[in-house]
Order: sequence, then C-alpha cells, then structure tokens
Amino acid sequence: MDGPNRAQERLEVRAPEMELIKQAQAGSRAAFDALVRQYEQQVLRLALHLTGSEHDAEDIYQEAFLKAFRYIGNFRFECSFYTWIYRIVTNLCLDQLRRRKTRREDQAILLDHSGDEIDLLASVSDNRSFSNPARELDRKQLGEKIQAALGKLTPRERMVFELKHYQGLRLRTIGEMLNTTEETAKNTLFRATKKLRTQLAGLR
Amino acid sequence: MNCELAHEKIVLAAYGELPDDQIHELDRHLTACDGCREEREQLLALRTLASSNPVIEPPANLIARSRVRLEEALDALPPKRWYERLSTRLVNNVASLQAAPAAALLLLIVGMGAGSLGGYEYAQARALRNESGTPPANAPGTPQPLANVAPTEVASISSIVQQPNSDVVEVRYNQLVPQRMQGSLDDPAIRQLLMMASEDAASAGIRDDSVGLLAAECRAGHSCNPAGIRDALMVALRYDRNEGVREKALKGLEPYVAQDMRVRDAVLEALLNDSDARIRSQAISILEPVEADTTVRQVLSTVASSDQNPQIRNVSRQVLSRAPEIQ
Repeated sequence: MDGPNRAQERLEVRAPEMELIKQAQAGSRAAFDALVRQYEQQVLRLALHLTGSEHDAEDIYQEAFLKAFRYIGNFRFECSFYTWIYRIVTNLCLDQLRRRKTRREDQAILLDHSGDEIDLLASVSDNRSFSNPARELDRKQLGEKIQAALGKLTPRERMVFELKHYQGLRLRTIGEMLNTTEETAKNTLFRATKKLRTQLAGLR
Repeated sequence: MNCELAHEKIVLAAYGELPDDQIHELDRHLTACDGCREEREQLLALRTLASSNPVIEPPANLIARSRVRLEEALDALPPKRWYERLSTRLVNNVASLQAAPAAALLLLIVGMGAGSLGGYEYAQARALRNESGTPPANAPGTPQPLANVAPTEVASISSIVQQPNSDVVEVRYNQLVPQRMQGSLDDPAIRQLLMMASEDAASAGIRDDSVGLLAAECRAGHSCNPAGIRDALMVALRYDRNEGVREKALKGLEPYVAQDMRVRDAVLEALLNDSDARIRSQAISILEPVEADTTVRQVLSTVASSDQNPQIRNVSRQVLSRAPEIQ
C-alpha cells in the first residue's frame, strides 16, 4: 500500500512552496508534512551542532515544528518561509543556550541520544590523523577546547557565530532571523571573534 | 583607516561580507600596518581552529526518530474548532484586504446597497400590511376584513394594485390553511408528505422525524421506491444542516450502497465533505461492501492523507491496506 506515500511525494515535487504553505494554512496536514521534510535536515543540523546533543536537537526539532504548525496561520509571506522557520528555531536554540548557561553544563563533550560520547572527529575523514594517533588526540583536544571557548560566549554571540561561521548565512539574514539589524549582527560577530581569539590565544 | 576599523573589516573580509572596493582599501592598510597583519593571521588561525568542531549531517535515525515523534504529537492535537478556523480565515482575509483597498471599498458599497434595498423592501411590505382601505368593487374573491386574517396564515402576496388618484390599494394574497392527515407508513400520500417534510420543514426536529421514518422503511426492506424515498434521503444527506438528520439519512441508504451507483456517490461525497467526523466515519464503514471499487479507493486515499481527523485517516489507511487493488 503506497497510495498515500506516492501522493505525498507528488505533493512535494509539484507544489511550489507558496502553494504548500497556503494549503497548510487551510488545514492540509499533507502540505505541512511536506514543508517539514523540506526543512527538517537543516533544522536538525543547526540544533545538533549548537547543542552538541542528539536529545536536545530532537527536542528543538519537536518544539520548532509544533510551533510552526500552531502559528502557520500567522505567516503573511512578508519574509521567506525559510527565514520564518529559522527564526523559530534560533529563538528556541537561544532559550536552550540560556538555560545551559544557568545550569553551567560542560559543553566540551558531545553526547548522542543514549548518552554515549560521539567522537566527532572520527566522522571527519583525514588520512593523516588515522596514520598518526598522536595527531588524532591533538585534534580531539582541540575540538574540546573550541567547544569550551564557544561555551564562554553569550547566547547571542554564540548564535551569531554559529550562523555565520558554521552555517554560512549572510549577516543580513542573521539579523532578520534574530529580529534585529544587520549592523547589530555585525557588532555581535566582532565581539564573538574577539572573545574566541582571546580564549584560544595560548594554543598557537 | 584606523586600526580599530581595520580589525572589524578584517573579520568581515574573512567571512566574505566586505564589499570589493573596501577590500582593496583594507589591503592597502595591511601592507603598511604590521599590527593589523598579525590580527588577520590570528583571525585566520581562529577559523582553522573552529573547523575542528565540524558541522555533521544529522544521522538518518535521528531524523526518523524526530519525524515519528512529531507525527505523533500532531496526531494528538485536537482539531481546530470551527470558530478558530473561521477567525484565522477572517484575520487572513482582513490582512489581504488591507493590500486591496479598492476591492474592500467595492465590497463595502455593494454591502451597503444590498442592505438598503433589503430595508426598503421590508418597509414597503410593512406599509402594505398596515394599509386599511375599502376594497375595490371588482375584486374576484370575497374580500375579508383584515382583522380575520392572521399574518402567519398568509402564504404569499400575488399582486398589488393602486387605484389611480386615490390612496386605495388592492392586494391579492394566498392563504395557508392548516390541515392534517393520518395514515400508515405504506400509504403513498403519507410517504409523499414525509418526503416533503425531509426537505421543506423549517424545524430540524420535524426533518429528523421524517428522515428517520423514511430511513427505517428502507432499512426494513419495505418498498423503498428508488425514484422517491432514496432520493429524499440522498438530498437530506447532502444538504441538511443538522448532523442528526444527515446521520439518519446515511443509515437509511446503507442497504443500497452496493447496488446503486448514485447512493455510492452520495456516500463518497459525504466522506469527503461532511463537516461531522462521525458521519465521515460511518460513511467509511458503510462503504465496506464496495471497498475494492476504484473510485472508492481513490476517495479513501485522499481521505487517508488529508482528513482533519487522525482516526479517520487511520481507518482509511487500514481499509486500503485490507482490500487488494483491482488490477
């Protein structure tokens, strides 16, 4: 039985995004599901890298799309849907970061959903590190140091640095997503890079 | 360019955010300033270090887990109430009307015009009812003093004629005469009245009674004339505003869904369009004898993906998976 799945695929391929959004606003669950599929990978990628935790990334995914479902009626096509969704996600990520700040969790180690450490660097293929265990250890320690340094930034600085450096978004877009100006996003980036450089000065 | 400004431009340049003409200006400054060149080196080193915390693609099982959890949460949400949907639609319409002031103005003018016309006609009707003048000599029927005719017994006004140069007006009207009839359900006259009642009666209670009686006749296998009672039930199922009446009509049509294509179409229409989830749900179970039919399967497929109600979507999927597809 693949009738509904095929219908779903046809919906995703044929309907341009605006049409999908209008259908979702009218109550079509299939249209909303199609929108989720278009954005879920990016949402998880951002949430996973920022939080370092599969469990937290899943929570952010859940909250973001439930919010999107609840408020899609308010979307007025004044900005792109991409910006709208990211605005929801970045706000949730900021809340997460603020909660962590107050709990003072150790940010240096990545955990998967069952609580085991993920060796991030194992997923980065590099012939040199495989052949040189000492170098591999160095890189892992570097990764932890970077995590620690990022943890010392304010939530907003962390967010802007994440979106600029890791996600490659333009400062103007970052400003829109954080509901601020490009100028403010710029200044936040300057502060973030300055702080990080100070933190990591001893490593060179 | 002072060094503090140069430091900021170095960051922007490193992230591809510095306009080309300013890059040239910055390069000129860097050639001459050791401090700023060092600053740039430091920033590039930071970027390299930051790459030791690479972005990874979310694993497939994380995506799958997240999706399943979201689907469950969405399925568990209560469906939007009609007033919530209406208010969302109204707000969206108002918002889009704001972008179309001409259309909004036109709408207002048309609305005012319709309202005025309605008011005018109402006032006219009232004036006519209150008019009391001597009836003209050539009036066909026996004119009655108005006091004997209660307004509720007037079925309709058929003509109004004003005598020239006078304030005397002749009004012809038809009068309602209440009657009653008693007989068995097999009596064609009684059935005919019941069928009229199913469409015409102002009260949902009367429509409910009539449709209930007619449906019971059909289910009991008594003579259910295809051209008569079945039609009345299909009309009730399609158009009655009251869901209790529609439900009774649906039950009455159940014995005919296999043999009568029109009945099947009416039930499919109810499955797609009826606002009441119970009725849509019952429509699915009534369609069981014909669930292998292509048209039925197409409708079930649409319902399985787009119905508001999660149980109905589930049941549709179950039915689809049960019946083998016709090749």
